[in-house]
Order: sequence, then C-alpha cells, then structure tokens
Amino acid sequence: MSRRVLYPLYQFGNPQLRIFRPNFFLTLVRPGKEQPPDTVQFRIPMEMTKCDVKNYLEKIYSAPVAAVRTRIQYCTNKKRNHLNQRVKRPDYKAAYVQLAQQQTFQFPDIFPKKDGEPEEGSMEAIQEKFMKDEQQRQKPDPRRGGVPEWFGI
Amino acid sequence: MLGKRHRSKMAAISGGRVLSLCRQFQSGFRISTLPLQRPHVFTKLGPLSPCPQTHVRLVAQCRSLYTSSCRKGLEEFFDIPENWGESTVKSGAPWTAKQLRTKSNEDLHKLWYVLLKEKNMLLSIEQEAKRQRVPMPSPERLRKVDRSMIRLETVVREREDAIRLLQTGQERSRPGAWRKDLFGRTYWYKFKEYPIPWYLNTRYKRKRFFSAPFVNDFIRLRIEQHMRRRRRKRLAEAKRHSKLMEKFPNMVSKA
Repeated sequence: MSRRVLYPLYQFGNPQLRIFRPNFFLTLVRPGKEQPPDTVQFRIPMEMTKCDVKNYLEKIYSAPVAAVRTRIQYCTNKKRNHLNQRVKRPDYKAAYVQLAQQQTFQFPDIFPKKDGEPEEGSMEAIQEKFMKDEQQRQKPDPRRGGVPEWFGI
Repeated sequence: MLGKRHRSKMAAISGGRVLSLCRQFQSGFRISTLPLQRPHVFTKLGPLSPCPQTHVRLVAQCRSLYTSSCRKGLEEFFDIPENWGESTVKSGAPWTAKQLRTKSNEDLHKLWYVLLKEKNMLLSIEQEAKRQRVPMPSPERLRKVDRSMIRLETVVREREDAIRLLQTGQERSRPGAWRKDLFGRTYWYKFKEYPIPWYLNTRYKRKRFFSAPFVNDFIRLRIEQHMRRRRRKRLAEAKRHSKLMEKFPNMVSKA
C-alpha cells in the first residue's frame, strides 16, 4: 500500500502483509460538479487503489465507506514558460467515496468573511496599521522600567 | 467501591492471603477500566504494581493530563472551526530528531498518524485556498510537518539499522552487490526475492552481468572522456584562480 515499502515475496499461507507509517496523503477537495450528499471527493496519489482508499479512511479516519470510484485526471500540457517551453501540470487521481450508514458530507466554508476586520490593502486597513505603528512608537521604552526620559541618556 | 466492600467481606472470611489476592484483583480491575473511560488518552501506564496507592496517584495524573477533544471522521480533514477565517494560525516548532529519539517505538508510530492527519488537513486547506484564490493561513505549517516526518523516518531507520546490525550483522536493509552491465558500467545491483532458485529462473538468466570483449575499447574511451573532463575542470579552476591572484595579489586563497 505504501510507496516506500518493498514487500517481501508473498506466498500462499504467509501472514498478511502489513504496513506501518503509510506515506499516502489525501486531499479533500470541494467537488467541481454537483455530487450526491453522501459522496466525498478526494485527490489521491497515483499509486493508491480503491481498496487502499477504503482501508485508509476506515482505519485511520474511522469513516464508514460504502464504495469508492476513481479516475485519473489528465492535466493540461498547454502552458508555456518564459522560454516558450511546454510545462506539464502534474496529473492526479480523483476518488469519489460514498459514505455508508446514511452519513452525509457537506464541504464547509473554511474561509468565512469576518465582519470586524477591514479588507487587505484597503484604505481603512492601511490607516489602522499606521495608527497602530504610531501608538507603538509613542510608547516609552519598556527596558527603562518606567524611569522618565529626563534621567540618563 | 464495589471492590473495597468485597475485599472487607472476604478478609473477614479467610485471611490475609485472600485479602492480598483481592487487592491485586482490585488494582487490576482499576487499571483495566482506565482506558475504557478515556479511550483517546495517549499515555502509557506503568507496569502493574500491587500497591493500591500508586494507582491512586496514577489516576490523579491521568485526570490532570490535558487532552484535546476527540474528533472523528472527515472533520479531521479541516482545521478546528475556531481557526476558520483567521489569517494566521499559531503553531509550534517541528519535532527534532533529538526529541524523537527519546520516544518509544509505539509513541513514534502514533505520532506518525498524528502528523499524517495534520498534513492531510493542511493539503486540503491549501487546495481550497487555491480554489478560492485566498492566501492560505500559515503555510509554513506544511514545511514543519514535512520536516517532522522526515526526522521521524530517520529515527526509525536508525533503530532498524541498530537491530539489524545486532541480529544479522548486515549493514543494508536491502542487500546488493556491485555488478557490471552489458556496456561495462559498474552499478549497484539490488537483490530481489524470487519464488524459484536462479538457475531455474529463465528471466533472471536472461540478464547479462558481463560485457563482451569488443566493448573493452568503448570502456577505455569512456574512461578517457571522464578523465579529459576532469582535467578540463581542474585547469579551468586553476586558470580562474591565477586570474584572481593577478587582480588581487593580497588575496588569501580558500582551502
């Protein structure tokens, strides 16, 4: 299951091959097309198989998995760099995991807009930053321990 | 409490021997119930000892231990909801190899899965940030997790090497040998397991680990080319150095 492992030769009757410390990393992505509520979309490494995904999610994340479907996404080769050479965007494997036990999954909004804070680069933000810096500058040196400026250099 | 009542009753009936047995049973019972109450506490309890006072202390230690709330399922692919929408997220330093060397194998194994989940979470956040075209909060966390994982790997490899050297005396985890290929180039051949011996294995016997005599000329040419390249490099370096010395006669040469 893991990319790093060279398995010992399996012969009938041997114990099942186990892996420790798997180095497969899954990326949960927001589905581009509308999916049923129980389907979760992942980007998985090319070497991973459907059984691997099922075991991974069940054993590590204890999420019930009913079915897994995979496909390989071909990514574009049309991009050109500054030397006008073709640059390939790496392909990836996409997995669609159906959850069991009537579980549903909704991709959450993990970057919600906060009301209190002004937008980055706007006039208010710059002004606020300026005021903060100015206040910091006005403060006395904390290393002097409250001794007024008149004493010492 | 049940155990205590039980103990007093039994002690009244028979003697101190039964009492001590009961006490042991009680202590064992307490220890066994501990992980059931807090299944997500990753602490290693010490070896069982008959004295009940130590267990009381152990229980107290476990209660004072801080554990984050247990999150299960696919929510672990995202950060905790308090961090959603923040521009920066605080994070500690990566694990150093020195710190990891003090841990037991079991702890390292658990830590690997913690790091794996963390990395999955960060990759998901990164992808979502790319998709929404917003900056990812604290992208340096990815690098920290990577470094920790690499260090954990090295620590585990060190231990495996030590055990292998003690038990078998082999330096490498995968044995191999220097062999020559068809064109006379020497390379490191890694040994592989086969289900049948090599003299029955036609596919293995098809491999050629030698070169024909007419290849010797080409080997010689290759060596010549290599030496010429090396000489050219050396001369270029010397020339550059002499030019610099001409320009700056007081220069202290390096090395």
